[in-house]
Amino acid sequence: MPYVAGLDIGSAISKAVIMQNGAIISAGIRPIEGNFALSAESVLTEALQKAKLTHSDIKRIGACGLGAAFISQPFTKITEISCQSRGVHYLIPTVRTLIEVGNQSSRVIKVSPKGKVADCLVSDKCAAGSGRILQIIAKVLGVTIREMGELSLQATRPAKFTTGCAVFLETEAISRVAEGMAKEDIIAGLHQTLAAKICAMAQRMKVEEDCAMTGGGAVDIGLVKTMEKQIGKNIITPEEPLSTAAIGAALIAAEK
Amino acid sequence: MFFAGLDIGSTITKVVIKNQKQICATVIKPTGAEHRRLAHKVMEDALAEAGVPFEKIDYIVATGYGRINVPFADHQVTEITCHMRGVNWLFPEVKTIIDIGGQDSKGIKVKNGKLSNFIMNDKCAAGTGRFLEVISDVLGVRLEDIGELSLRSTRPSDISSLCTVFAEQEALLRLSEGTPVEDILAGIHKANASRIYSMVSKINIEKEVAITGGGAKNIGLCKALEEKIGFPAIVPPEPLITGALGAALIAGEEIEKISADELKQRAKERHLEAVTFFDDESNRGRT
Repeated sequence: MPYVAGLDIGSAISKAVIMQNGAIISAGIRPIEGNFALSAESVLTEALQKAKLTHSDIKRIGACGLGAAFISQPFTKITEISCQSRGVHYLIPTVRTLIEVGNQSSRVIKVSPKGKVADCLVSDKCAAGSGRILQIIAKVLGVTIREMGELSLQATRPAKFTTGCAVFLETEAISRVAEGMAKEDIIAGLHQTLAAKICAMAQRMKVEEDCAMTGGGAVDIGLVKTMEKQIGKNIITPEEPLSTAAIGAALIAAEK
Repeated sequence: MFFAGLDIGSTITKVVIKNQKQICATVIKPTGAEHRRLAHKVMEDALAEAGVPFEKIDYIVATGYGRINVPFADHQVTEITCHMRGVNWLFPEVKTIIDIGGQDSKGIKVKNGKLSNFIMNDKCAAGTGRFLEVISDVLGVRLEDIGELSLRSTRPSDISSLCTVFAEQEALLRLSEGTPVEDILAGIHKANASRIYSMVSKINIEKEVAITGGGAKNIGLCKALEEKIGFPAIVPPEPLITGALGAALIAGEEIEKISADELKQRAKERHLEAVTFFDDESNRGRT
């Protein structure tokens, strides 16, 4: 039976999945590290090796993301929004509102019962509303995004930040560290600031249940929980929130 | 009679000591985490330069982001008023002031020597000196050199992001593509200028225009702004001190409202000392 690959070459991370007859065979995740072409190649190879396949076994490649243009093999280009929508529908068919928090943008996508994009809002003008800010603060505090999530849940007195700007927030976070504030409280404060920004966007479209979160931001349980509180709805996250667009890309490419 | 203006900016602290006729001393020092608490140290430097003992200073006005961290100041005035007064004293013909500070940028309108309108961005690093700091850092060029360097550009690169974080990434990408640093810098200055211009345009830019603050020291940014405005702008010989100068001018006026006895009493109570509290968060709220 033919194999199909889905690639999502994002601004920070490359993701690949290999599918056959609508089932996921293997997946790969690699950082970009300054080279889209190399990262795209290595993430596909990673997924192929896991599935014990070679390039020639792949009948079609569907791809999305900022760095998709650097993929060396022939592929079908699909928009990230369509891929996200389709991918999340595949994993959790009941999802009607998808919030994707990526490295360079945040998106709120309304998903139709058939997995198509019904509506969409994107924030990509400013790092304040994107997952980028999580990475900046994680670096300041010397923790990973995943650890940030756990720490955030332990906060007792979340910091109050006066700014949303990623640059100023970094400065404020450093000041708080210097004043001896606990990491947990700084992170929880950051989550409140970021969640407020994304929620403001989400609420411009009616948030319908089920609601899911994907992208690197969904790895951060603290952000997810804060979003839940602010939106007032339960939020589902897929087991691997980074792979949804790659899955969608493979599914859409298989139909072409 | 001597009076002083202190401008505790987010990045740089400035002091001007004046008498009724002239400026006696100006001091410009970085506002380190230390100096924010130690405004009195900068004041001491200014006193030494002016050759005036502290007891001879009759009135002190503090302004800027850290103005409430000056325990020996008689009065606090917002930096918008102070910049307006300082520029108006230097250049009475100026109707629009564009102040590019370390962590904010402002547009100020002057009418008959009075503040008529203003607009300010302190929410976002784009359009502020901070943007330039971040970019010079990532390109490995000294902040004071980026202006001159950008003027050598023949083909300014397109920087489409307004956000400092994204523009930084874009600058790095251009660098990796082999774009010359001067072209990236020229693109950066254009992007920053257009951000500042669109903000100040909201209060209607009228001739003459003055550019002040640390950003005014960047010739590349000034040229990019002039291109946007469509005519040359005035840059004071020392664009950093207009706020402190304005504060000193206000101090000079305040003296006249106060009786000689009260001035004496104030001088007795005033001590050149460090601030005893430091609460950044509450400071920011008080504007």
